[in-house]
Amino acid sequence: MALLRAHELTKTFGSVRALDGVSFEIDEGITGLLGSNGAGKSTSLKLFLGLLDPDSGSAEVLGRDARSSSEVRTRVGYAPEHDCLPRNVSAAEFLAYMARISGLPSTAARLRASDVLRHVGLFEERYRQMGTYSTGMKQRVKLAQALVHDPVIAFLDEPTAGLDPLGRREMLELIRRVGGDFGISIVISTHLMGDVERACDSVVVLDAGRLLRTGAVSGFTEETETLEVELLEGADAVAEGLRRRGLAPALDGRRLTLEAVTGDDYDTLRDVIVDAGGVLYRLAPARHSLADVFTREPAQTSEAEAAP
Amino acid sequence: MTSGPAEIFDLGYHGYEGERTGRWARRGAIWRDGIRISLGLGRGVGAKVAPWLLLGLALVPMVVLVVVAAFVGPATNPDDFELPSYGDYYEWAMVPLALFAAVVAPLLICPDRRDGVLSLYAARPITPLDYVGARWAAFGTVLLGAAWAPEAVLFVWNALDAEQPGTFLADNWDVVPRFLAAGAVVSAVLTTLALFVSSFATRRAYATVAMLAVVFIGSAIGGIAENDFSGGGADAVSLVSLPQSLVDSVHWIFGDELDRPVSGGVALLWLLGLTVVLAGWLVRRTNRLVRG
Repeated sequence: MALLRAHELTKTFGSVRALDGVSFEIDEGITGLLGSNGAGKSTSLKLFLGLLDPDSGSAEVLGRDARSSSEVRTRVGYAPEHDCLPRNVSAAEFLAYMARISGLPSTAARLRASDVLRHVGLFEERYRQMGTYSTGMKQRVKLAQALVHDPVIAFLDEPTAGLDPLGRREMLELIRRVGGDFGISIVISTHLMGDVERACDSVVVLDAGRLLRTGAVSGFTEETETLEVELLEGADAVAEGLRRRGLAPALDGRRLTLEAVTGDDYDTLRDVIVDAGGVLYRLAPARHSLADVFTREPAQTSEAEAAP
Repeated sequence: MTSGPAEIFDLGYHGYEGERTGRWARRGAIWRDGIRISLGLGRGVGAKVAPWLLLGLALVPMVVLVVVAAFVGPATNPDDFELPSYGDYYEWAMVPLALFAAVVAPLLICPDRRDGVLSLYAARPITPLDYVGARWAAFGTVLLGAAWAPEAVLFVWNALDAEQPGTFLADNWDVVPRFLAAGAVVSAVLTTLALFVSSFATRRAYATVAMLAVVFIGSAIGGIAENDFSGGGADAVSLVSLPQSLVDSVHWIFGDELDRPVSGGVALLWLLGLTVVLAGWLVRRTNRLVRG
Protein backbone atom coordinates (compact mmCIF):
# COMPACT_ATOMS: atom_id res chain seq x y z
CA MET A 1 0.00 0.00 0.00
CA ALA A 2 1.26 3.47 -0.87
CA LEU A 3 2.04 5.65 2.14
CA LEU A 4 0.87 8.78 0.35
CA ARG A 5 -1.55 9.06 -2.53
CA ALA A 6 -2.50 12.22 -4.38
CA HIS A 7 -5.42 11.79 -6.73
CA GLU A 8 -6.33 14.56 -9.19
CA LEU A 9 -5.22 17.04 -6.54
CA THR A 10 -6.05 20.65 -7.36
CA LYS A 11 -5.52 23.69 -5.20
CA THR A 12 -5.78 27.35 -6.15
CA PHE A 13 -4.97 30.47 -4.18
CA GLY A 14 -6.91 33.32 -5.75
CA SER A 15 -5.92 33.33 -9.40
CA VAL A 16 -2.84 31.18 -8.83
CA ARG A 17 -3.24 27.45 -9.46
CA ALA A 18 -0.70 25.91 -7.09
CA LEU A 19 -1.59 22.31 -8.02
CA ASP A 20 -3.42 21.32 -11.16
CA GLY A 21 -4.93 17.84 -11.11
CA VAL A 22 -1.80 16.13 -9.80
CA SER A 23 -1.80 12.37 -9.19
CA PHE A 24 1.05 10.37 -7.74
CA GLU A 25 1.85 7.79 -5.09
CA ILE A 26 4.71 7.63 -2.64
CA ASP A 27 5.83 4.29 -1.24
CA GLU A 28 8.24 3.37 1.53
CA GLY A 29 11.78 4.70 1.33
CA ILE A 30 13.17 8.15 0.74
CA THR A 31 11.36 10.24 -1.84
CA GLY A 32 12.31 13.62 -3.19
CA LEU A 33 9.58 16.11 -3.98
CA LEU A 34 11.53 18.14 -6.49
CA GLY A 35 10.65 21.41 -8.13
CA SER A 36 11.51 25.06 -8.37
CA ASN A 37 9.88 27.76 -6.26
CA GLY A 38 6.14 27.84 -6.94
CA ALA A 39 6.13 24.29 -8.29
CA GLY A 40 3.60 23.20 -5.65
CA LYS A 41 5.86 21.34 -3.23
CA SER A 42 4.86 23.18 -0.05
CA THR A 43 1.19 23.12 -1.06
CA SER A 44 1.46 19.35 -1.51
CA LEU A 45 2.99 18.94 1.95
CA LYS A 46 0.28 21.09 3.54
CA LEU A 47 -2.40 19.07 1.79
CA PHE A 48 -0.87 15.83 3.07
CA LEU A 49 -0.65 17.31 6.56
CA GLY A 50 -4.32 18.22 6.37
CA LEU A 51 -3.63 21.91 6.81
CA LEU A 52 -5.30 22.86 3.54
CA ASP A 53 -8.48 21.69 1.85
CA PRO A 54 -8.05 20.69 -1.79
CA ASP A 55 -10.35 22.37 -4.31
CA SER A 56 -10.82 18.95 -5.86
CA GLY A 57 -9.20 15.56 -5.67
CA SER A 58 -7.88 13.90 -2.56
CA ALA A 59 -4.70 13.57 -0.51
CA GLU A 60 -4.42 10.31 1.40
CA VAL A 61 -1.92 9.54 4.14
CA LEU A 62 -1.53 5.92 5.28
CA GLY A 63 -4.76 5.08 3.53
CA ARG A 64 -6.81 7.82 5.20
CA ASP A 65 -7.96 11.15 3.89
CA ALA A 66 -5.57 13.74 5.28
CA ARG A 67 -8.45 16.03 6.27
CA SER A 68 -10.57 13.36 7.93
CA SER A 69 -8.89 13.42 11.32
CA SER A 70 -5.89 14.90 13.06
CA GLU A 71 -5.20 11.41 14.48
CA VAL A 72 -3.31 10.43 11.33
CA ARG A 73 -0.67 12.95 12.35
CA THR A 74 0.33 10.73 15.29
CA ARG A 75 2.24 8.75 12.64
CA VAL A 76 3.52 11.67 10.57
CA GLY A 77 6.51 13.92 11.23
CA TYR A 78 7.22 17.32 9.77
CA ALA A 79 10.23 19.61 9.72
CA PRO A 80 9.53 22.96 8.08
CA GLU A 81 12.05 24.94 6.09
CA HIS A 82 11.92 28.06 8.22
CA ASP A 83 13.09 28.50 11.81
CA CYS A 84 10.69 26.77 14.17
CA LEU A 85 12.64 26.26 17.39
CA PRO A 86 12.07 28.24 20.59
CA ARG A 87 15.28 29.97 21.64
CA ASN A 88 15.15 29.76 25.42
CA VAL A 89 14.35 26.05 25.75
CA SER A 90 16.74 23.11 25.70
CA ALA A 91 16.53 20.58 22.87
CA ALA A 92 15.81 17.77 25.35
CA GLU A 93 12.89 19.61 26.91
CA PHE A 94 11.51 20.71 23.57
CA LEU A 95 11.65 17.27 22.02
CA ALA A 96 10.03 15.66 25.05
CA TYR A 97 7.24 18.21 24.79
CA MET A 98 6.79 17.60 21.07
CA ALA A 99 6.64 13.86 21.78
CA ARG A 100 3.98 14.35 24.45
CA ILE A 101 1.72 16.41 22.21
CA SER A 102 2.21 13.75 19.54
CA GLY A 103 0.80 11.08 21.83
CA LEU A 104 3.67 9.63 23.86
CA PRO A 105 3.38 9.28 27.66
CA SER A 106 5.69 11.53 29.68
CA THR A 107 8.35 8.99 30.61
CA ALA A 108 8.54 7.54 27.12
CA ALA A 109 8.67 11.05 25.70
CA ARG A 110 11.74 11.95 27.77
CA LEU A 111 13.52 8.73 26.86
CA ARG A 112 12.70 9.08 23.17
CA ALA A 113 13.89 12.69 23.21
CA SER A 114 17.30 11.74 24.54
CA ASP A 115 17.54 8.73 22.25
CA VAL A 116 16.68 10.63 19.08
CA LEU A 117 19.03 13.47 20.00
CA ARG A 118 21.80 10.89 20.38
CA HIS A 119 21.06 9.51 16.95
CA VAL A 120 21.27 12.95 15.32
CA GLY A 121 24.53 13.68 17.14
CA LEU A 122 23.30 16.19 19.72
CA PHE A 123 23.36 14.10 22.88
CA GLU A 124 26.10 16.14 24.54
CA GLU A 125 24.40 19.41 23.70
CA ARG A 126 20.86 18.41 24.59
CA TYR A 127 20.53 20.59 27.68
CA ARG A 128 21.78 23.75 26.00
CA GLN A 129 19.24 26.39 25.06
CA MET A 130 18.55 26.12 21.34
CA GLY A 131 19.09 29.84 20.80
CA THR A 132 22.82 29.12 21.14
CA TYR A 133 22.87 26.40 18.44
CA SER A 134 24.53 26.72 15.04
CA THR A 135 22.49 26.41 11.84
CA GLY A 136 23.59 22.81 11.40
CA MET A 137 22.58 21.90 14.94
CA LYS A 138 19.20 23.54 14.49
CA GLN A 139 18.61 21.54 11.31
CA ARG A 140 19.38 18.39 13.28
CA VAL A 141 16.95 19.34 16.03
CA LYS A 142 14.31 20.04 13.38
CA LEU A 143 14.90 16.55 12.02
CA ALA A 144 14.88 15.07 15.54
CA GLN A 145 11.55 16.65 16.47
CA ALA A 146 10.05 15.20 13.31
CA LEU A 147 11.20 11.73 14.39
CA VAL A 148 10.73 11.85 18.15
CA HIS A 149 7.27 10.24 18.13
CA ASP A 150 8.47 7.46 15.80
CA PRO A 151 6.38 8.35 12.75
CA VAL A 152 5.81 6.08 9.80
CA ILE A 153 6.65 8.91 7.43
CA ALA A 154 8.32 12.29 7.90
CA PHE A 155 8.16 15.34 5.66
CA LEU A 156 11.35 17.39 5.53
CA ASP A 157 11.05 20.76 3.83
CA GLU A 158 14.43 21.85 2.41
CA PRO A 159 16.44 20.01 5.10
CA THR A 160 19.80 21.25 3.82
CA ALA A 161 18.85 24.92 3.61
CA GLY A 162 21.58 27.17 5.00
CA LEU A 163 24.14 24.38 5.45
CA ASP A 164 27.71 24.51 4.18
CA PRO A 165 28.86 21.65 1.88
CA LEU A 166 30.11 19.51 4.76
CA GLY A 167 26.98 20.07 6.82
CA ARG A 168 24.86 19.32 3.78
CA ARG A 169 26.64 16.04 3.18
CA GLU A 170 26.27 15.05 6.84
CA MET A 171 22.58 15.92 6.83
CA LEU A 172 21.97 13.85 3.70
CA GLU A 173 23.85 10.91 5.23
CA LEU A 174 21.71 11.27 8.34
CA ILE A 175 18.57 11.24 6.22
CA ARG A 176 19.82 8.10 4.47
CA ARG A 177 20.28 6.50 7.89
CA VAL A 178 16.79 7.50 9.00
CA GLY A 179 15.31 6.02 5.86
CA GLY A 180 17.46 2.90 6.09
CA ASP A 181 18.38 1.97 9.67
CA PHE A 182 15.42 3.67 11.36
CA GLY A 183 12.88 2.39 8.86
CA ILE A 184 11.10 5.73 8.74
CA SER A 185 10.04 6.77 5.26
CA ILE A 186 11.05 10.28 4.31
CA VAL A 187 9.71 12.82 1.86
CA ILE A 188 12.19 15.59 1.12
CA SER A 189 10.80 18.72 -0.45
CA THR A 190 13.65 20.46 -2.22
CA HIS A 191 14.70 22.40 -5.28
CA LEU A 192 18.22 20.93 -5.13
CA MET A 193 18.63 18.08 -7.62
CA GLY A 194 21.91 17.09 -5.99
CA ASP A 195 20.15 16.40 -2.69
CA VAL A 196 17.66 14.13 -4.42
CA GLU A 197 20.37 12.29 -6.36
CA ARG A 198 22.40 11.72 -3.20
CA ALA A 199 19.71 10.84 -0.71
CA CYS A 200 16.55 9.67 -2.42
CA ASP A 201 15.33 6.36 -3.75
CA SER A 202 12.55 7.88 -5.81
CA VAL A 203 11.46 11.29 -6.96
CA VAL A 204 8.30 13.19 -7.78
CA VAL A 205 9.04 16.17 -9.99
CA LEU A 206 6.59 19.06 -9.98
CA ASP A 207 6.68 22.06 -12.26
CA ALA A 208 4.24 24.97 -12.05
CA GLY A 209 1.65 22.88 -10.26
CA ARG A 210 1.81 19.96 -12.67
CA LEU A 211 3.40 16.56 -12.35
CA LEU A 212 6.44 16.43 -14.58
CA ARG A 213 7.80 12.99 -13.75
CA THR A 214 7.83 10.38 -11.06
CA GLY A 215 9.90 7.26 -10.60
CA ALA A 216 13.05 5.75 -9.14
CA VAL A 217 16.03 8.10 -8.99
CA SER A 218 18.20 5.37 -10.47
CA GLY A 219 15.97 5.47 -13.53
CA PHE A 220 16.80 9.12 -14.05
CA THR A 221 20.53 8.71 -13.55
CA GLU A 222 21.12 5.52 -15.51
CA GLU A 223 24.07 5.12 -17.84
CA THR A 224 23.75 6.29 -21.43
CA GLU A 225 25.43 5.00 -24.58
CA THR A 226 27.60 8.08 -24.63
CA LEU A 227 31.23 7.60 -23.60
CA GLU A 228 33.09 10.41 -21.88
CA VAL A 229 36.88 10.45 -22.21
CA GLU A 230 39.10 12.95 -20.44
CA LEU A 231 42.80 13.17 -21.36
CA LEU A 232 45.59 15.04 -19.65
CA GLU A 233 47.62 15.20 -22.89
CA GLY A 234 47.06 14.49 -26.59
CA ALA A 235 43.32 15.10 -26.82
CA ASP A 236 43.58 16.63 -30.29
CA ALA A 237 45.68 13.75 -31.65
CA VAL A 238 43.34 11.15 -30.18
CA ALA A 239 40.32 12.89 -31.69
CA GLU A 240 42.03 12.95 -35.07
CA GLY A 241 42.97 9.26 -34.77
CA LEU A 242 39.39 8.33 -33.92
CA ARG A 243 38.06 10.21 -36.92
CA ARG A 244 40.52 8.32 -39.16
CA ARG A 245 39.10 5.07 -37.72
CA GLY A 246 35.57 6.11 -38.70
CA LEU A 247 34.32 7.40 -35.33
CA ALA A 248 32.92 10.88 -34.74
CA PRO A 249 34.19 12.24 -31.43
CA ALA A 250 33.12 15.65 -30.11
CA LEU A 251 36.09 17.52 -28.69
CA ASP A 252 35.71 20.04 -25.87
CA GLY A 253 39.15 21.02 -24.55
CA ARG A 254 40.63 17.91 -22.98
CA ARG A 255 37.31 16.13 -23.06
CA LEU A 256 36.00 13.83 -25.78
CA THR A 257 32.54 12.36 -26.08
CA LEU A 258 31.57 9.48 -28.30
CA GLU A 259 27.93 8.72 -29.04
CA ALA A 260 26.45 5.24 -29.40
CA VAL A 261 29.62 3.34 -28.58
CA THR A 262 29.89 -0.45 -28.98
CA GLY A 263 32.26 -2.97 -27.47
CA ASP A 264 34.64 -2.73 -30.46
CA ASP A 265 34.83 1.04 -30.07
CA TYR A 266 36.49 0.59 -26.67
CA ASP A 267 39.29 -1.42 -28.33
CA THR A 268 39.63 1.20 -31.04
CA LEU A 269 39.82 3.97 -28.46
CA ARG A 270 42.51 2.11 -26.50
CA ASP A 271 44.61 1.63 -29.62
CA VAL A 272 44.25 5.22 -30.74
CA ILE A 273 45.26 6.59 -27.34
CA VAL A 274 48.36 4.40 -27.34
CA ASP A 275 49.29 5.31 -30.91
CA ALA A 276 48.75 9.03 -30.35
CA GLY A 277 50.63 9.08 -27.05
CA GLY A 278 47.62 10.38 -25.16
CA VAL A 279 47.51 10.38 -21.34
CA LEU A 280 44.16 9.03 -20.20
CA TYR A 281 42.69 10.63 -17.06
CA ARG A 282 39.09 9.37 -17.04
CA LEU A 283 36.89 7.09 -19.14
CA ALA A 284 33.29 6.40 -18.23
CA PRO A 285 29.82 6.12 -19.71
CA ALA A 286 27.87 9.35 -19.32
CA ARG A 287 24.85 9.26 -17.00
CA HIS A 288 21.55 11.00 -17.22
CA SER A 289 20.99 13.61 -14.58
CA LEU A 290 17.81 14.80 -12.92
CA ALA A 291 18.43 18.10 -14.67
CA ASP A 292 17.54 16.33 -17.92
CA VAL A 293 14.01 15.93 -16.59
CA PHE A 294 13.41 19.62 -17.02
CA THR A 295 14.77 19.65 -20.57
CA ARG A 296 12.96 16.58 -21.88
CA GLU A 297 9.40 16.48 -23.03
CA PRO A 298 7.15 17.21 -20.04
CA ALA A 299 4.48 15.02 -18.44
CA GLN A 300 6.41 11.81 -18.89
CA THR A 301 6.28 9.25 -16.17
CA SER A 302 8.68 6.43 -15.69
CA GLU A 303 7.01 3.15 -16.40
CA ALA A 304 8.29 1.51 -13.26
CA GLU A 305 6.43 3.75 -10.85
CA ALA A 306 3.80 5.44 -12.91
CA ALA A 307 1.09 7.17 -10.96
CA PRO A 308 -2.46 5.93 -11.45
CA MET B 1 35.97 -2.05 38.57
CA THR B 2 32.63 -3.65 38.00
CA SER B 3 32.26 -7.22 39.14
CA GLY B 4 29.17 -8.19 37.15
CA PRO B 5 29.20 -9.95 33.81
CA ALA B 6 29.98 -7.91 30.74
CA GLU B 7 27.04 -6.66 28.71
CA ILE B 8 26.74 -5.40 25.19
CA PHE B 9 24.19 -2.64 24.85
CA ASP B 10 22.33 -2.23 21.57
CA LEU B 11 22.56 1.49 20.87
CA GLY B 12 20.91 1.21 17.48
CA TYR B 13 17.63 2.87 16.71
CA HIS B 14 14.55 1.41 18.34
CA GLY B 15 11.07 2.36 17.26
CA TYR B 16 8.42 3.17 19.84
CA GLU B 17 5.98 0.33 20.39
CA GLY B 18 4.35 1.43 23.63
CA GLU B 19 0.94 2.93 24.16
CA ARG B 20 -0.04 6.24 22.60
CA THR B 21 -2.09 8.72 24.55
CA GLY B 22 -5.40 10.23 23.54
CA ARG B 23 -6.41 13.75 22.72
CA TRP B 24 -7.01 14.84 26.31
CA ALA B 25 -3.52 13.79 27.33
CA ARG B 26 -2.09 15.78 24.44
CA ARG B 27 -4.13 18.80 25.51
CA GLY B 28 -2.86 18.19 29.03
CA ALA B 29 0.72 18.36 27.78
CA ILE B 30 0.09 21.81 26.30
CA TRP B 31 -1.68 22.86 29.50
CA ARG B 32 1.27 21.76 31.66
CA ASP B 33 3.67 23.57 29.36
CA GLY B 34 1.53 26.69 29.70
CA ILE B 35 1.63 26.44 33.50
CA ARG B 36 5.42 26.12 33.42
CA ILE B 37 5.74 29.12 31.13
CA SER B 38 3.35 31.18 33.28
CA LEU B 39 5.39 30.51 36.42
CA GLY B 40 8.80 30.52 34.75
CA LEU B 41 9.43 26.90 35.76
CA GLY B 42 12.31 25.21 33.97
CA ARG B 43 13.54 28.59 32.79
CA GLY B 44 16.15 31.01 34.05
CA VAL B 45 15.81 33.20 37.13
CA GLY B 46 14.83 36.17 34.98
CA ALA B 47 11.73 34.36 33.75
CA LYS B 48 10.59 33.78 37.32
CA VAL B 49 10.91 37.33 38.64
CA ALA B 50 7.87 38.97 37.06
CA PRO B 51 5.30 36.20 37.62
CA TRP B 52 6.26 35.46 41.21
CA LEU B 53 6.57 39.15 42.11
CA LEU B 54 3.13 39.94 40.74
CA LEU B 55 1.54 36.83 42.22
CA GLY B 56 3.17 37.76 45.52
CA LEU B 57 1.71 41.25 45.31
CA ALA B 58 -1.74 39.72 44.90
CA LEU B 59 -1.37 37.23 47.74
CA VAL B 60 1.07 38.58 50.31
CA PRO B 61 -0.93 41.62 51.48
CA MET B 62 -3.79 39.37 52.56
CA VAL B 63 -1.38 37.09 54.40
CA VAL B 64 0.19 40.12 56.10
CA LEU B 65 -3.21 41.47 57.09
CA VAL B 66 -4.23 38.14 58.55
CA VAL B 67 -0.95 37.86 60.47
CA VAL B 68 -1.43 41.39 61.76
CA ALA B 69 -4.98 40.52 62.74
CA ALA B 70 -3.73 37.43 64.54
CA PHE B 71 -0.99 39.12 66.54
CA VAL B 72 -2.00 42.76 66.81
CA GLY B 73 -5.74 42.63 66.37
CA PRO B 74 -6.61 41.28 69.83
CA ALA B 75 -4.69 44.11 71.49
CA THR B 76 -6.43 46.84 69.55
CA ASN B 77 -9.88 48.24 69.41
CA PRO B 78 -11.89 46.31 66.79
CA ASP B 79 -12.91 49.62 65.26
CA ASP B 80 -9.29 50.53 64.58
CA PHE B 81 -8.35 47.40 62.67
CA GLU B 82 -10.62 45.55 60.36
CA LEU B 83 -9.80 42.98 57.71
CA PRO B 84 -11.07 43.79 54.21
CA SER B 85 -14.21 42.10 52.94
CA TYR B 86 -13.96 39.46 50.23
CA GLY B 87 -15.10 41.96 47.64
CA ASP B 88 -12.97 44.83 48.93
CA TYR B 89 -9.78 42.81 48.57
CA TYR B 90 -10.22 42.74 44.79
CA GLU B 91 -9.96 46.54 44.74
CA TRP B 92 -6.33 46.01 45.70
CA ALA B 93 -5.65 42.69 44.01
CA MET B 94 -7.04 43.77 40.65
CA VAL B 95 -3.89 45.80 39.92
CA PRO B 96 -1.31 42.99 40.34
CA LEU B 97 -3.63 40.49 38.68
CA ALA B 98 -4.11 42.74 35.64
CA LEU B 99 -0.36 43.41 35.53
CA PHE B 100 0.31 39.68 35.77
CA ALA B 101 -2.01 39.10 32.81
CA ALA B 102 -0.37 41.89 30.81
CA VAL B 103 3.20 40.80 31.51
CA VAL B 104 2.98 37.00 31.57
CA ALA B 105 0.13 35.97 29.27
CA PRO B 106 1.97 37.11 26.12
CA LEU B 107 4.65 34.51 26.90
CA LEU B 108 2.17 31.76 26.11
CA ILE B 109 1.55 32.88 22.54
CA CYS B 110 4.01 35.51 21.28
CA PRO B 111 7.21 33.36 21.34
CA ASP B 112 5.41 30.55 19.51
CA ARG B 113 4.55 33.02 16.75
CA ARG B 114 7.92 34.76 16.74
CA ASP B 115 9.95 31.54 16.63
CA GLY B 116 7.70 29.81 14.09
CA VAL B 117 6.72 27.01 16.48
CA LEU B 118 3.08 27.24 15.42
CA SER B 119 3.92 25.32 12.24
CA LEU B 120 5.05 22.40 14.40
CA TYR B 121 1.80 22.44 16.37
CA ALA B 122 -0.02 22.41 13.03
CA ALA B 123 1.68 19.16 12.07
CA ARG B 124 0.85 17.43 15.37
CA PRO B 125 -2.29 15.45 16.17
CA ILE B 126 -3.98 18.42 17.80
CA THR B 127 -6.27 21.12 16.46
CA PRO B 128 -5.77 24.88 16.75
CA LEU B 129 -8.64 24.84 19.26
CA ASP B 130 -6.75 22.28 21.36
CA TYR B 131 -3.72 24.54 21.34
CA VAL B 132 -5.38 27.81 22.24
CA GLY B 133 -7.84 26.14 24.60
CA ALA B 134 -5.05 24.48 26.55
CA ARG B 135 -3.04 27.70 26.64
CA TRP B 136 -6.14 29.55 27.87
CA ALA B 137 -6.79 26.93 30.52
CA ALA B 138 -3.15 27.02 31.66
CA PHE B 139 -3.00 30.76 32.20
CA GLY B 140 -6.52 30.77 33.60
CA THR B 141 -5.51 28.13 36.13
CA VAL B 142 -2.59 30.19 37.39
CA LEU B 143 -4.70 33.33 37.53
CA LEU B 144 -7.49 31.44 39.23
CA GLY B 145 -5.08 30.25 41.89
CA ALA B 146 -3.85 33.80 42.41
CA ALA B 147 -7.42 35.07 42.74
CA TRP B 148 -8.64 32.31 45.02
CA ALA B 149 -5.68 32.00 47.35
CA PRO B 150 -6.08 35.31 49.25
CA GLU B 151 -9.84 34.77 49.55
CA ALA B 152 -9.24 31.28 50.86
CA VAL B 153 -6.74 32.64 53.40
CA LEU B 154 -9.27 35.21 54.55
CA PHE B 155 -12.06 32.66 54.80
CA VAL B 156 -9.95 30.21 56.78
CA TRP B 157 -8.80 32.95 59.12
CA ASN B 158 -12.36 34.18 59.67
CA ALA B 159 -13.40 30.62 60.48
CA LEU B 160 -10.50 30.10 62.88
CA ASP B 161 -11.02 33.49 64.49
CA ALA B 162 -14.72 32.90 65.10
CA GLU B 163 -15.79 31.95 68.59
CA GLN B 164 -17.40 28.84 67.17
CA PRO B 165 -15.85 27.86 63.82
CA GLY B 166 -18.56 25.28 63.17
CA THR B 167 -21.29 27.87 63.53
CA PHE B 168 -19.31 30.27 61.36
CA LEU B 169 -19.05 27.70 58.58
CA ALA B 170 -22.75 26.89 58.82
CA ASP B 171 -23.68 30.57 58.65
CA ASN B 172 -21.19 31.53 55.94
CA TRP B 173 -20.98 28.49 53.66
CA ASP B 174 -22.29 30.59 50.77
CA VAL B 175 -19.10 32.65 50.81
CA VAL B 176 -17.18 29.75 49.29
CA PRO B 177 -19.14 29.47 46.01
CA ARG B 178 -19.17 33.25 45.84
CA PHE B 179 -15.42 33.64 46.05
CA LEU B 180 -14.94 30.73 43.69
CA ALA B 181 -17.27 32.38 41.19
CA ALA B 182 -15.66 35.81 41.67
CA GLY B 183 -12.20 34.38 41.03
CA ALA B 184 -13.46 32.49 38.00
CA VAL B 185 -14.92 35.66 36.49
CA VAL B 186 -11.77 37.70 37.10
CA SER B 187 -9.59 34.89 35.74
CA ALA B 188 -11.72 34.26 32.65
CA VAL B 189 -11.97 37.93 31.69
CA LEU B 190 -8.30 38.80 32.20
CA THR B 191 -7.06 35.57 30.58
CA THR B 192 -9.22 35.97 27.50
CA LEU B 193 -8.41 39.64 27.06
CA ALA B 194 -4.67 39.13 27.56
CA LEU B 195 -4.41 36.18 25.17
CA PHE B 196 -6.58 37.93 22.61
CA VAL B 197 -4.33 41.00 22.65
CA SER B 198 -1.23 38.77 22.58
CA SER B 199 -2.42 36.98 19.45
CA PHE B 200 -1.83 40.18 17.49
CA ALA B 201 1.83 40.54 18.46
CA THR B 202 4.94 38.51 17.85
CA ARG B 203 6.86 40.35 20.55
CA ARG B 204 5.92 40.06 24.17
CA ALA B 205 6.71 43.72 24.90
CA TYR B 206 4.23 44.93 22.28
CA ALA B 207 1.51 42.69 23.67
CA THR B 208 2.19 43.87 27.22
CA VAL B 209 2.02 47.54 26.22
CA ALA B 210 -1.16 46.92 24.21
CA MET B 211 -2.80 45.11 27.13
CA LEU B 212 -1.84 47.87 29.55
CA ALA B 213 -3.14 50.44 27.09
CA VAL B 214 -6.49 48.66 26.87
CA VAL B 215 -6.75 48.54 30.67
CA PHE B 216 -5.51 52.03 31.49
CA ILE B 217 -7.08 53.92 28.60
CA GLY B 218 -10.33 52.09 29.26
CA SER B 219 -10.10 53.03 32.93
CA ALA B 220 -9.45 56.66 32.07
CA ILE B 221 -12.38 56.84 29.66
CA GLY B 222 -14.65 55.02 32.08
CA GLY B 223 -13.58 57.27 34.94
CA ILE B 224 -14.22 60.44 32.93
CA ALA B 225 -17.61 59.17 31.80
CA GLU B 226 -18.56 58.30 35.36
CA ASN B 227 -17.29 61.45 37.06
CA ASP B 228 -17.88 64.18 34.51
CA PHE B 229 -21.02 63.09 32.68
CA SER B 230 -24.39 61.72 33.56
CA GLY B 231 -27.13 59.80 31.84
CA GLY B 232 -27.49 56.36 30.33
CA GLY B 233 -24.85 56.92 27.67
CA ALA B 234 -22.23 57.95 30.20
CA ASP B 235 -23.14 55.00 32.40
CA ALA B 236 -22.70 52.64 29.47
CA VAL B 237 -19.34 54.18 28.55
CA SER B 238 -18.17 53.78 32.14
CA LEU B 239 -18.25 50.02 31.58
CA VAL B 240 -15.16 50.22 29.35
CA SER B 241 -13.15 50.56 32.54
CA LEU B 242 -12.53 46.84 32.77
CA PRO B 243 -10.89 46.81 36.24
CA GLN B 244 -13.76 48.82 37.68
CA SER B 245 -16.32 46.64 35.92
CA LEU B 246 -14.60 43.58 37.34
CA VAL B 247 -14.59 45.00 40.85
CA ASP B 248 -18.27 45.92 40.52
CA SER B 249 -19.04 42.40 39.31
CA VAL B 250 -17.17 40.87 42.20
CA HIS B 251 -19.04 43.02 44.73
CA TRP B 252 -22.29 42.00 43.08
CA ILE B 253 -21.34 38.34 43.35
CA PHE B 254 -20.65 38.79 47.08
CA GLY B 255 -23.95 40.63 47.48
CA ASP B 256 -22.32 43.93 48.48
CA GLU B 257 -24.52 46.95 47.96
CA LEU B 258 -22.63 49.79 46.33
CA ASP B 259 -23.72 53.10 44.93
CA ARG B 260 -22.55 52.65 41.35
CA PRO B 261 -23.94 54.14 38.12
CA VAL B 262 -24.30 50.68 36.63
CA SER B 263 -25.28 47.67 38.72
CA GLY B 264 -22.70 44.96 39.26
CA GLY B 265 -25.01 42.46 37.60
CA VAL B 266 -25.06 44.49 34.41
CA ALA B 267 -21.26 44.86 34.55
CA LEU B 268 -20.97 41.10 34.95
CA LEU B 269 -23.18 40.46 31.92
CA TRP B 270 -21.15 42.94 29.88
CA LEU B 271 -17.89 41.28 30.89
CA LEU B 272 -19.15 37.79 30.16
CA GLY B 273 -20.46 38.89 26.76
CA LEU B 274 -17.18 40.58 25.96
CA THR B 275 -15.28 37.47 27.03
CA VAL B 276 -17.34 35.20 24.81
CA VAL B 277 -16.85 37.48 21.80
CA LEU B 278 -13.10 37.82 22.37
CA ALA B 279 -12.74 34.07 22.95
CA GLY B 280 -14.50 33.33 19.66
CA TRP B 281 -12.31 35.85 17.88
CA LEU B 282 -9.20 34.37 19.53
CA VAL B 283 -10.11 30.88 18.35
CA ARG B 284 -10.68 32.06 14.77
CA ARG B 285 -7.44 34.00 14.77
CA THR B 286 -5.46 31.09 16.20
CA ASN B 287 -6.95 28.80 13.59
CA ARG B 288 -5.63 31.10 10.88
CA LEU B 289 -2.24 31.56 12.55
CA VAL B 290 -1.65 27.87 13.15
CA ARG B 291 -2.67 26.76 9.67
CA GLY B 292 -0.49 29.51 8.18
